[in-house]
Amino acid sequence: MDAHVAQLQMQYRNYILSLYQQGFLDDQFTELKSLQDDGTPDFVAEVLSLFFDDCVKLVGNMARALDQTGTVDFSQVGANVHQLKGSSSSVGAKRVKGLCINFKELCEAKNYEGCVRCLQQVDIEYKTLKAKLQDMFNLEKQIVQAGGIVPQVDIN
Amino acid sequence: MTVEQDFEAVDQFPVGMRVLAVDDDQTCLRILETLLHRCQYHVTTTDSAQTALELLRENKNKFDLVISDVDMPDMDGFKLLELVGLEMDLPVIMLSAHSDPKYVMKGVKHGACDYLLKPVRIEELKNIWQHVVRKSKFKKMKSIVINDDHSQGNSDQNGVKANRKRKDQFEEVEEEDEERGNENDDPTAQKKPRVLWTRELHNKFLAAVDHLGVEKAQPKKILELMNVDKLTRENVASHLQKFRSALKKITNEANQQANMAAIDSHFMQMSALKGLGGFHNQRQIPLGSGQFHGGAATMRHYPLGRLNSFGGVFPHVSSSLPRNHNDGGYVLQGMPIPPLDDLNNKAFPSFTSQQSSLMVAPNNQLVLQGHQQSSYPSLNPGLSPHFEINKRLDDWSNALLSTNIPQSGVHSKPDALEWNHFCNSDAAQAGFIDPLQMKQQPANNLGPMTDAQLLRSSNPIEGLFVGQQKLENGSMPSNAGSLDDIVNSMTPKEQSQAELFEGDLGFGWHNSSLRTCI
Repeated sequence: MDAHVAQLQMQYRNYILSLYQQGFLDDQFTELKSLQDDGTPDFVAEVLSLFFDDCVKLVGNMARALDQTGTVDFSQVGANVHQLKGSSSSVGAKRVKGLCINFKELCEAKNYEGCVRCLQQVDIEYKTLKAKLQDMFNLEKQIVQAGGIVPQVDIN
Repeated sequence: MTVEQDFEAVDQFPVGMRVLAVDDDQTCLRILETLLHRCQYHVTTTDSAQTALELLRENKNKFDLVISDVDMPDMDGFKLLELVGLEMDLPVIMLSAHSDPKYVMKGVKHGACDYLLKPVRIEELKNIWQHVVRKSKFKKMKSIVINDDHSQGNSDQNGVKANRKRKDQFEEVEEEDEERGNENDDPTAQKKPRVLWTRELHNKFLAAVDHLGVEKAQPKKILELMNVDKLTRENVASHLQKFRSALKKITNEANQQANMAAIDSHFMQMSALKGLGGFHNQRQIPLGSGQFHGGAATMRHYPLGRLNSFGGVFPHVSSSLPRNHNDGGYVLQGMPIPPLDDLNNKAFPSFTSQQSSLMVAPNNQLVLQGHQQSSYPSLNPGLSPHFEINKRLDDWSNALLSTNIPQSGVHSKPDALEWNHFCNSDAAQAGFIDPLQMKQQPANNLGPMTDAQLLRSSNPIEGLFVGQQKLENGSMPSNAGSLDDIVNSMTPKEQSQAELFEGDLGFGWHNSSLRTCI
């Protein structure tokens, strides 16, 4: 059992590190994790779920805004991008945030094609992140189920 | 001793400070809430500015501080800022993902005590309590000085008159000629006793004014109605003047005046204006306009709350600020570095801020100078010193505001656990990429819906999740069920859903935060 736990924990560690290394997550995510403690064991999961909810909503809004036949309201798109940027930066979703920065510029430039493309990227990106994080949570679960403790991963 | 009293109050104070957090972004709101909890504040959250206002109006003394996002759909954060400052005179901190100095400036002009950038870090929140202390301390001092004015009588007639003159200048509202006449006409040589406008006294005043009619009320009649011993007509007159100007400001909010500043400055004038020579128009905080005296003016207004708070008491601060700031109106040179460097004021103390705020600087001085004042007004034992003053000021608005504010529906905060059924997105499934495809999608998800609606819609979630493992509730605590819900919902597990909600949250903190969420 212990070996199993140790192995899971190692797996977990590596996974987390890879997420950082690949730029999916940044320091803000670390901050979030640090806010989670015994009294609030699901804080990170909860915040992330809120974040992904937001993603869906905002992406939907933007899609609609970009879908207007006729004049596209870029300021509307921009407002949603701004919000997504805010929430992604708050949870440490680095790639999503990065995309938002580009997206904002595209909105300001009223670059329709660019916006559409960027939106697609955002969509893919947040879903990818979501899947990755779900895997991470699953690993956590497995560790706990195996009787172990989820390790604190030190990002250096 | 006064000093110790205040330190004591300060020592207890940060813990349990009641913060109202407003942000339409639920992710950020949730994080903010947790951060604030970590700082040991008591937190109430809402995602709607309108709701926030309602909460505040319901009971002004329920909160010590407001933190609000700038970009909100139902009301501009700056507007909320103004209203809160005006009606409740609470310190407001702005929060935004906009790092553009223009926004910061706007915040300042509207009376924000501080401006924080997202993502907010806990270090930045740890010191926000200082804004509350500062504000209340200043109010205390204002009231003392006001009373001083009354009591100085002959001995400082000129000074008093000079103060009043300046006050007149600063008054945004048209002076009531009769009041002015009354005040300036009063050459009585006797020393007037200190008048402390306690709640009871003020209530009597309000009752009298109400009886006579706000417009028609005259000090003499009010005095008679109040029937208070040792209260002079002059006391009433000046109080009435303040009352009326506060009223006007409230009703003038549509003019986008920085009303908080006005009220503060109103008091500020009453306070030791001596030396506040350069501080003209300080009350006016028009938005983004050039009504200030050159570039310096923008600086003057930057630490709006602070200038209001300090100006009267720290003449040197006020005078030096405007002159030294030539950033073309941009106070912050790279957030979050405070422009402290630009203020060649005295050494800014240890509050090296994680906050880009000037507030930190004068704090010490405020404390010091504050203590030069003699005894603070006696406070109701049951109340924290900070709120007594709040209440007094707030009372003024109270009578008037209750009728003025349009009611709006409370926007319920979506249950965080209802992991977005909305994210069913057939959109997601269809691998929605092309916005045009959205047209074909079922309307229910795409129409304008409130967040609450979105979250409550019970569309099954499919396809979003790569990990298809069924997550047992036992191992994953309910709250984290959020991510799990998606998976869970793929299997008929209604009961697990139910479990995840209200029922077995088991996390006290979460419960309370939910409770306070509106």
